[in-house]
Amino acid sequence: MSQTATPQAAPPPPPPPAAATAVAAPAAAPVVAQAAPSYVDTPALLNRWQLIGMSVAIVFGLVSALVQFVGWQTDGRAAADTDQLLRVQTIKSSLLSADATATNAFLRGGLEDAGQRGAYDQAIQSVLKNIAAAADAQPADRAALEQLNVKVTDYTTAVAQARDNNRQGFPIGAEYLSGASISLRADGNALSILDALVKSNQQRAEDAMGGQHPFWLLILGIVALGVLFWLNRELAQRFRRRINKGIAIAALIVLGVTLVTVVGAWIRDSSNDSLREGEFAKAVAEANARTEGNDAKANESLRLIKRGSGTTYEDEWQKSADKVAASGTSSLGAWNAYAATHTEIKKLDDDGNWEQARKLALGQSVTDFDKFDEAAEAAASKNGDTAAEDLRSGRSLALVLSGLTILLGIAASVFLARGIGERRKEFS
Amino acid sequence: MNRIRPLAATLAAAAFLLAACGYDATPVPKAKSDEPTAASSSKPVQCDDPTQSYAPSNDRAKAVAELKNKGRLVVGVSGDTFQMGFSDPVDGELKGFDIEFAKAIAKALGVSLDLRVISAADRTKLLDDGTIDMVARNMTVNCERWEQVAFSSVYYNATQKVLVRKDQAASYQGPASLADKRVCAPTATTSLARVAEVAPGATPVGAKNHTGCLILFQKGDVDAITGDDTVLAGLAAQDPYAVVPPQQTKLSDEPYGLAFDKNAVDLVRYANSVLQQMRTDGEWQKAYTTWLKPYLKVDTTPPAPVYGR
Repeated sequence: MSQTATPQAAPPPPPPPAAATAVAAPAAAPVVAQAAPSYVDTPALLNRWQLIGMSVAIVFGLVSALVQFVGWQTDGRAAADTDQLLRVQTIKSSLLSADATATNAFLRGGLEDAGQRGAYDQAIQSVLKNIAAAADAQPADRAALEQLNVKVTDYTTAVAQARDNNRQGFPIGAEYLSGASISLRADGNALSILDALVKSNQQRAEDAMGGQHPFWLLILGIVALGVLFWLNRELAQRFRRRINKGIAIAALIVLGVTLVTVVGAWIRDSSNDSLREGEFAKAVAEANARTEGNDAKANESLRLIKRGSGTTYEDEWQKSADKVAASGTSSLGAWNAYAATHTEIKKLDDDGNWEQARKLALGQSVTDFDKFDEAAEAAASKNGDTAAEDLRSGRSLALVLSGLTILLGIAASVFLARGIGERRKEFS
Repeated sequence: MNRIRPLAATLAAAAFLLAACGYDATPVPKAKSDEPTAASSSKPVQCDDPTQSYAPSNDRAKAVAELKNKGRLVVGVSGDTFQMGFSDPVDGELKGFDIEFAKAIAKALGVSLDLRVISAADRTKLLDDGTIDMVARNMTVNCERWEQVAFSSVYYNATQKVLVRKDQAASYQGPASLADKRVCAPTATTSLARVAEVAPGATPVGAKNHTGCLILFQKGDVDAITGDDTVLAGLAAQDPYAVVPPQQTKLSDEPYGLAFDKNAVDLVRYANSVLQQMRTDGEWQKAYTTWLKPYLKVDTTPPAPVYGR
């Protein structure tokens, strides 16, 4: 260290100014008219600098730790939001899968196939369980999920009425079924509520993935280092020492913490950006493809149930098919195989071969569609799990670092206090 | 004071960061009103005799030439009017009284039959745009419709009546009893317009079809359904709490005709010859006995055709 100069003593008080402002003052009180002495109270100044320096070091530690804690927290929220997004997308897919199964069972006619009945029940169970889980996981979704619960109950009631009437051979059964399917897709009903849930949770997850703030940490470090530099300069001017040991150690701690935390946050931020564009986007795309696919399959059955009056259903099928094709799903090959079978069904129906179209819709079409549905479900689940796991990984290290930052901030303030304390000793 | 400022700044920063941690509640989309809307009554059109059709002709070649699709007769039918035109839940086949006439005409033309389920509101539109060749869907012949389509001779004389809840059947005294009641009929049908005429105190409620009316009736959204006796009999057969009061008088006559494109006159003439054949060879009676008599519980004979248009 270059503490070679002797401490600079406080300058002696200057002589009082002669006859200053004494024109109107009474002669008996000349002392009152004198100006205040202009000496520097060095111990008080050192105390002030010590307080500023310690405060800066502690505030740096606290705020830096807080920024890291928020980053840790938002990564956790991003993982939870991703889970919730996948949950509501699963609800939507399961609901449309139930509808596709119910309509296909009606198309079959006669006694309902036990396998299809089981598949419908399983899909509805999945819907109801996931609604309860989603309401538990995200309080902000509760109002929407309450409404969804009501709409799903309406739907399942209508399907049950459809079945009851169908078993008695009454055509009103098919009307209940088509009414249930149409209501499901109506404005303000189950699917539009689910669309709102998907949109909100996707936005939340994407926002949370942007919760790392390396720039804030950098600015914070630069400001703290700037204050320490200023403090050191002031001390150097007063005591003729270029560098104060305590302040230097504190500055090194701040610099080290800043570098480590900025690099750490930057790595997490980049990783989150990659996730958002990668596994997360893929999970969303696969889930969207699956819901649109199930919507299309239900419309295929409704088209045939309505015996060719279904230009509306065919238009809806095409809209869904376009969305699947544009979704970027990895199961596009399986989808194209199903779409080719559907084209054949449409041609048969348009040409008046309804019975053959129906057979195809109940046979090959189901086989082809199931391959696509299973592949899309697996891909959505895999990508979603990967995204959530990646967001959760390394979080404990971030939390430890956050706690360590507070301790290092305190340590920096202690070194700083000792550094200035040395000057105080020298002065006294 | 100097000690307070850094602390306040820290707290402010913490408050700012934590404030960003809250979630906005997911907006709940509002449902559109599910209230069924009443249909407006149509403008009356005058003509001499709406039941008057074109004279029959056996010229099959001319008739076939007027089909929209080569080798196929595409017929719009009902898929949910029990006993008139309905999809049998057991085997998925379209069956009923109306379907028998479609089958007979396709057979006589020597072409395949393509049945398309259509709604009452789509009947005229689908004939206009060439999607279908013929409508066999309990369609009432009237002057207004003659402006848009061509009808065959009348193949059945239905009457418009009212269906009410079983506990209100005994007290039903005709249209006056419908005051302040919600009465359902399919949109764009003569039945709905007739409600406004004969029971001005009633609230007409439109539905997509009569089965849709029965669903509204079962939910308690409407108090009564009006329609042709043939249709109401089919609805009552599906719900033991729905009754067509036997003591009521008819609200109107509803003569049924098969509808065709307005310019397909040769096809209409040929259909009239097939209908005439069915009236005389017992096929009409057989169809009536199979599909309608078990529910209407009355004997009847085929209506006499009126030609000269």
